[in-house]
Amino acid sequence: MTSRRLLLWLGVAIAAVSIGCSKSNQEMGDTSAARATDSDMQLYPPVTPTTAEQVLARARRGDATIVNLWATWCPPCRDEMPALIRVARVHKEDRVRLVLVSVDFEDQLPAVRKFLATQGYTDTSYLKTGDDQKFINAIYPQWTGALPATLVFDRSGRQVAFWEGRADESKFEHAVIEALAANTH
Amino acid sequence: MRLSRLSWLPVVPLLFAAAVHAQDQPRPLAIGATAPMKDVKMKSVDGKDVTLTGVAGKKGTLVVFTCNHCPWAQAWQTRVAAIGNGASAKGIGVVAINPNDPVAYPEDDFAGMQARAKMLGLKFPYVVDATSDMARAFGATRTPEAFLFDASGKLVYHGTVDDNARDQSAVTQHWLQDAVDAVIAGKDVTTAETKAFGCGIKFREKKTS
Repeated sequence: MTSRRLLLWLGVAIAAVSIGCSKSNQEMGDTSAARATDSDMQLYPPVTPTTAEQVLARARRGDATIVNLWATWCPPCRDEMPALIRVARVHKEDRVRLVLVSVDFEDQLPAVRKFLATQGYTDTSYLKTGDDQKFINAIYPQWTGALPATLVFDRSGRQVAFWEGRADESKFEHAVIEALAANTH
Repeated sequence: MRLSRLSWLPVVPLLFAAAVHAQDQPRPLAIGATAPMKDVKMKSVDGKDVTLTGVAGKKGTLVVFTCNHCPWAQAWQTRVAAIGNGASAKGIGVVAINPNDPVAYPEDDFAGMQARAKMLGLKFPYVVDATSDMARAFGATRTPEAFLFDASGKLVYHGTVDDNARDQSAVTQHWLQDAVDAVIAGKDVTTAETKAFGCGIKFREKKTS
C-alpha cells in the first residue's frame, strides 16, 4: 500500500512540476488569443491577406479612404483604434472607407481578429503578406516602417495626408474632411 | 453628416492641408551626412555622461536607437548586442540610445535600461535621449533603427538589423553586420539603406526655449 501511495504522489508531483515548468511564452507575437477556439473565430470579423498594391487599389473605392497600418503588438496602434473606427463610422454616409491593414505575422491572425472584435469592428480588414521592406516602400516610399501609420486618399485615389504615430479623433476627422473637400475641386 | 456645400469654401481644404501636412515627420539623416549633436551629453546606464564624439571609434561609429518595451526591439536585441560588442572590439565606437518617453512606456525607464544592459551583457553604453532631440536630429522614427558612420564620420548605413526579426535562423540578409564588416575593412557598404517595421518612437514633448 505504501509503495502504491508513493507512486501515486510521485505521479502527482511529476504532473505538478510539468505544468509549473511549461514554457511561459513571452516571445513576440505568441498570445493566448492565438489559441482561440473554432467557435470564437466564427464571431470575429474577417481578415483577408493583402499586398501593398491591393491596399492602394482600395483607395479609389470610396469618396475618401483611410488606410491605417497597425499591429496587435503596437500599443499606440491599439490606443488610436477606437477614435479611428468612430470617425469612419460617423462618415459612413459620406462614403468614407476604412482600410485597416495589420502587419502582424500570419500566425497571429486569430489575435488580430480577436482584437478587432473587442473594438466592435465587424467589417473586413486586411493582413499584410510578402516581404516587409517591399511592402513598406510600395505603400509609400516616405513611410519608414514605424507604426502606426495612416494615409488618407480622396475619391481619385490621390493621397492627401500621411503621418506616422498615434493620432486623435480630431486629426483623423480633419484628414477625412480634407479628402472629401478635395473631391469638390 | 452630408458635406455637399463645401464647394463655396475653397480656403478650407488649404487650411486643413496645412494642419495635416504640418506634421512632425522627421527627415532621416542622409547617407553621407555626419552625425548631429555630437557633443550633447547623454546619461549612460553606468551613470556616466556619454557623447557621440566621445564614443566615436577609429574605424567608425555605430548608433542604434532602441528600447526595452518594443517587441521588435526585443526580438533583435541579442543580435544588436552581439553585433555591437563585436564591432566595439574591432575599432567601431558603439552606442545604444533609448529615445522613448518613459512616462508613456514605464519599461523604458532608467532602471529598466540598466537591467536590460546587464541582461544583454552590453560592452558599449546604453544611454538616455533625455529630450528625444537626438532621435529628432537623426530623423529616427522607430525602434530599433541603426546608423553606421565610417572612419571619416560619414553615414554609410541606415536601417534595420536584418530581414527576419522573429527567426534568427531564417535570416538571409545580415544588413547591419555586413555594413559593420565593410566599415571595419574600409570597404564600401553594399546596401546602404533598409527599412523594417518597428515601434514608433514616443518622443518627449519639445521644450520651448
